[in-house]
Parts: sequence; C-alpha cells; structure tokens
Amino acid sequence: MKNNIKVERAKKNITQADLAKLAKVSRQTINAMELGKYVPSTVLALRLAHIFDVEISDLFQLEDSDWE
Amino acid sequence: MKTKFLFPSTYKKWGWIILIPAAILGVIDLFIETQPAFFNWTVPALYKAEFMGKTTYFGWVENNVLNEILAVLVIMGSLLVAFSKQQYEDEFIAKTRLESLVWATYVNYIVLLVAILFVYDIGFLWVMIFNMFTILIFFIIRFHWQIFKMKTSESHEE
Repeated sequence: MKNNIKVERAKKNITQADLAKLAKVSRQTINAMELGKYVPSTVLALRLAHIFDVEISDLFQLEDSDWE
Repeated sequence: MKTKFLFPSTYKKWGWIILIPAAILGVIDLFIETQPAFFNWTVPALYKAEFMGKTTYFGWVENNVLNEILAVLVIMGSLLVAFSKQQYEDEFIAKTRLESLVWATYVNYIVLLVAILFVYDIGFLWVMIFNMFTILIFFIIRFHWQIFKMKTSESHEE
C-alpha cells in the first residue's frame, strides 16, 4: 500500500514527531509508515486522514502487490 | 493502545536496574562458583535428589542460596525489561514485539537443537544453564534493536 503521509506532512509543515503526537502513536510508527514498512490499522488510517483533513483514499492507495 | 499482560512503562527502568548487576554477578558466580557462608540457609524444598545420595520430597534442605537469588533476579529483571510498555505502546510497537518474540523463540530453540546434537556432558549442562535465560535475552536484544533502527532511520528525514 502506498501512502502520501510525507507529502501531507510537508504541506502542513509538521515533523514526524509532531504528527506522532497528534495521532497518539510513536515516532517510529510514523517513520515506518512513511518508509512503507508498516501498514496502519483502519483506526490509525482514519485518524491520520482526520488530522490532515483529507479523504482516506487521498492518503492511502492500493498497489498491485496488495492483490497478490 | 490498550494492551494485555504488559507492565507500565516506568517498570522498565527498574528492570534494567535489577537485570544488569544480577546478570554480571550471575556470570561471575557461574565461573568462580563462590559459595559465601552467609548464603548457607535451610530452605523448604519440594524435591531434592543428591548425586548418588538421598532424595528429599517436601522437606527442608541445606543449600547455598546465592545462585537461586541471582537466577530469580535475572528472570525478574528480564521480564520487566522485556514486557514493560514502551512510552508509546502503539500498534506498530505491538507488531514489532510479537515478531521479536517469535524470532527469539526460534533462535533460542535453534541454539538448543544445535547444542543437543553437538554438545555433550558438562558442556551441555552449561548450555542448559544459559538456555534458561536466553529466550528473554534474545527477545530484549531483537526488540530494542528493531525499535532503535526505526528511530535512527527517521533522523535522516528531510
């Protein structure tokens, strides 16, 4: 799954640490998601979409490999 | 995140405070086998079988308790370090925790399997002594290493 967390974060001009605080998760979690090493739960995905005030599909997109 | 079976995050510090000195003294005690008279106690025993000697069930036995005390402290310290929550015990940390536990279990038993096949007599006894603690030690190393890696790679952001 691809995500635009880093892009949205840049738009809002906030650091990983700031976003972690807002989403109430560890900085490692934000970092792991941005590196594509972790796919968040539905709850966390919804929280992030809410923080950035975007639709969840704007923030996360399926890749071909997600259908394998 | 709500978690089951984990200690509060403040306990981790106490875990290290107990584990580090107990582990150092434990290893020293293993190699020099001191038995200070101060630790010769009469203790309750469920079962004691002496080599070529008598067997005791549910009785009192003479024992030097230094190694028992150190083993208990190492186990308690390891459990606190391993299973205290991280400051933010979130879903990614929980996943890392689970993966590290599986990894540690595999590594622990691979080491034991190799030892069963290739280590004999007193050598095997030594392996068994360490094997009592290694699953927790392997877990602690792997888990903290994974968390550390995610922390350091984020410092390269922007």
